[in-house]
Amino acid sequence: MRIVAVDPDACVACRNCEYACAFRQTGDFDRTRSHIRVNYHPAERACVPLTCMHCAEAWCMEVCPAGAISRNAETGAVEIDKDHCAGCKMCLLACPFGNIGFDSTHGVSRKCDLCGGDPRCVGSCTSGALEYVEENDAFAFKRDALDAKLRQALRLDRGRR
Amino acid sequence: MSTERDVQQTLCRMCDDRCGIDVHLEDGRMVDIVGNKAHVWNKGRLCVKARAAIDMAYHPDRLLAPLKRTADGWQEIPLAQALDEIAARLTQIKERDGARSVSVWKGEAIGFGQQEDIARRFIHAFGSPNYLSNDSMCYAARYFGYKLVDGAWPVADLENARVIVMWGANPPHAHPNMTQYITAARRKGAKLVVVDPRLSAIARRADVHAQPHPGTDGALAWGLMRELIRTGGYDREFVERHTVGFPELSAYAATFTPEMVEQETGVPAATVIELAALMAESAPRVSMYVGNGLEHHENGVNNIRAVVSLDALVGAVDREGGNRFVQPAPLRTLTLYDDVPLEHLGPLGADRFPVLYDLRQECHTMTAMGAILEGDPYPLRAMVLTGANPLLTNPNTERVRQAFESLDLLVVRELFMTETASLAHYVLPAASFLERSELHTHAKHQAVTLTRRVCDFPDVQDEYQFWHDLAHRLDMGAYFPWDDETALNRWLLEPSGLTLEELEAHPEGVTYSPLAPPPLERGPFMTSSGKVEFASRYLKDLGYDELPVYKSPEYRGTPDDEYPFVLMTGARKLLYLHSRFRNIPRFRTAVPGPEVEMHPDDARALGVAEGDTVTVTSRIGNVTIPVHVVSPEEIRPGELQITHGWSEANVNLLTHDDRFDPISGFPLMKSVEVRVTKVGAGE
Repeated sequence: MRIVAVDPDACVACRNCEYACAFRQTGDFDRTRSHIRVNYHPAERACVPLTCMHCAEAWCMEVCPAGAISRNAETGAVEIDKDHCAGCKMCLLACPFGNIGFDSTHGVSRKCDLCGGDPRCVGSCTSGALEYVEENDAFAFKRDALDAKLRQALRLDRGRR
Repeated sequence: MSTERDVQQTLCRMCDDRCGIDVHLEDGRMVDIVGNKAHVWNKGRLCVKARAAIDMAYHPDRLLAPLKRTADGWQEIPLAQALDEIAARLTQIKERDGARSVSVWKGEAIGFGQQEDIARRFIHAFGSPNYLSNDSMCYAARYFGYKLVDGAWPVADLENARVIVMWGANPPHAHPNMTQYITAARRKGAKLVVVDPRLSAIARRADVHAQPHPGTDGALAWGLMRELIRTGGYDREFVERHTVGFPELSAYAATFTPEMVEQETGVPAATVIELAALMAESAPRVSMYVGNGLEHHENGVNNIRAVVSLDALVGAVDREGGNRFVQPAPLRTLTLYDDVPLEHLGPLGADRFPVLYDLRQECHTMTAMGAILEGDPYPLRAMVLTGANPLLTNPNTERVRQAFESLDLLVVRELFMTETASLAHYVLPAASFLERSELHTHAKHQAVTLTRRVCDFPDVQDEYQFWHDLAHRLDMGAYFPWDDETALNRWLLEPSGLTLEELEAHPEGVTYSPLAPPPLERGPFMTSSGKVEFASRYLKDLGYDELPVYKSPEYRGTPDDEYPFVLMTGARKLLYLHSRFRNIPRFRTAVPGPEVEMHPDDARALGVAEGDTVTVTSRIGNVTIPVHVVSPEEIRPGELQITHGWSEANVNLLTHDDRFDPISGFPLMKSVEVRVTKVGAGE
């Protein structure tokens, strides 16, 4: 399956992803309603985008007493069926990353569903920090970056000798 | 009945990045906009402004009928009547005061290239040299910086760089999709340097964030040049073979010691040395990009020239990973400067700022206000303005208001009843970018794209149709022989060998000539000497310094107790572009209103907290505005920032329209001396 890979080293906390997600959920730009959340810490200049990883062993799904959480056969996304959610919040408790939210207006849990296979957060990520990629190679960009850096270091080293 | 679905591929023009978009329609109505994954520039990614184009086009406040000001307020009139009356008034004014008393003002919202040239063509055909636009305070100063040194404005080859230096530019907010090019370079090991008084969005990813005081970038550039020369880290061969003025440059640079630079700019001496070393070891793959941040100062052009001179010192001019000269698209041009030269009529501002007219054929909007109000240097009595809102975007708003109120004829083409439109005699409904078809060039990729008309409203003319219909009423129809914009597009495209049909089939852009590898033998450069000019004979002959001599901003001189803060204005924000999009409700949810960005130490000293209201006062005027207390890293104490374009707290009530960069004529807008008082604390 494909997941939304996040690269904090590329993120600039521009918030396009949060607005795009919130818009899809609510038609408005209230960032607190986004399923992807970006924390920004000016002192460290740290930008931390976090969203559901659609765990292979999804604890939220396992713990849900209402059986409202299931895996989408097509996209592999772990999804909440609003009509069956009892609003017990066990999934919020179970998620080790805090990536499940609660919609207090409708009394149901809410989380990323990969927009049915075309995640809007990725389409609106102008920095390239978010990629919708096969989980098998989701963080290939890190390997590629290291590869490029080593190659450059070696080239420099040769240049000196 | 089943819904008829369709996807139209075109370009977004919510800003000038012009990203490829897929517009989804249901029964002819736009319902969604997503990125065109094949487009050369944005590769499928879009900022959230793009989708809001639908909200803009179908906005309930959209103007859809011509309006005429009467004693009883606005009156809707038929389009043909409006055009007849406007043509008659223009003819009367021309007969009374001469053609040059009539002007055209083309706004940023209309775009550049083809649309700009149609407006230029119209006013020249009419007999007036007075083409006005936002370019007399944006873009042109950077053009001059590059043109004067390199002979052309190259594009930054960001993705192949080993060091990227962003000078006063914040792509995530100003050119969102440029950010992905920076990320691509960083993933290949490039270092990112950001020079900005604020910790901007792009500075969050910087390896080095140099934080100069506003308007002191030139001193930093000179300090870097001194270090490169002193350490022998510059490209001797390039300098010897391809530049003029190196001895003068070298001598002048000598005074910019790291310590002096630290004192002037606030950038630590060690950082100056570190940056120079980084540039030397990465040369020539040093890609520098200059943003609007350097333009709005008393010394803007020379600061930019100093930065551009650095490119040459490290041999990055027209080099892979540095910057690259690009070939313009081989399209016909619409302007009439050769056929109908009108320089003898005294284009407004051309005498005070000869470079502005000579190199860009741009008149000076601030001078135009004097022409309207005082008849200086001669009366300007009529203006046809399209897609601009100078009442929020030009400096010294009160004077702009007085000027516009006293025009004999003001015609405004707009989507909405803006502050400027509300002063007009006639307001004509304008087409958005989704309602016209035009040619766009993406210089970086040497590609042309044809946009398409995705929707239509009756009585809403596209830009070409408007100029065409008005021209035919003014006996200048011969200059507008094309029946519609498609005929015009076909004519423009003819010499390129490309066809409209080909462009229609390739909405992702068609390369008109592949970007060739950098030449081994460089030059001649398109300057008067054929070389890169550290020292400019052209400027010297006009009475300016031939070197990009550094001038310390006025506020850096004697401290002024009355105006102890320095205010930057116009920092870009993601959701708003200049004065536009404040009427998109969800944008207001995200960013509800204006604010003054302030260091926590200043907030403490003033006794204000986040959200409290203050009055900011300059020598020009004052605004009352809520405070946003930023983190201490994000701005320096004593320095403030207010973004323009808000009618609730219009920062241009504070900015100067009488303090200019002497070369470009750009107004001082990013280093304004102000004081701040807490509301209720006695002012």
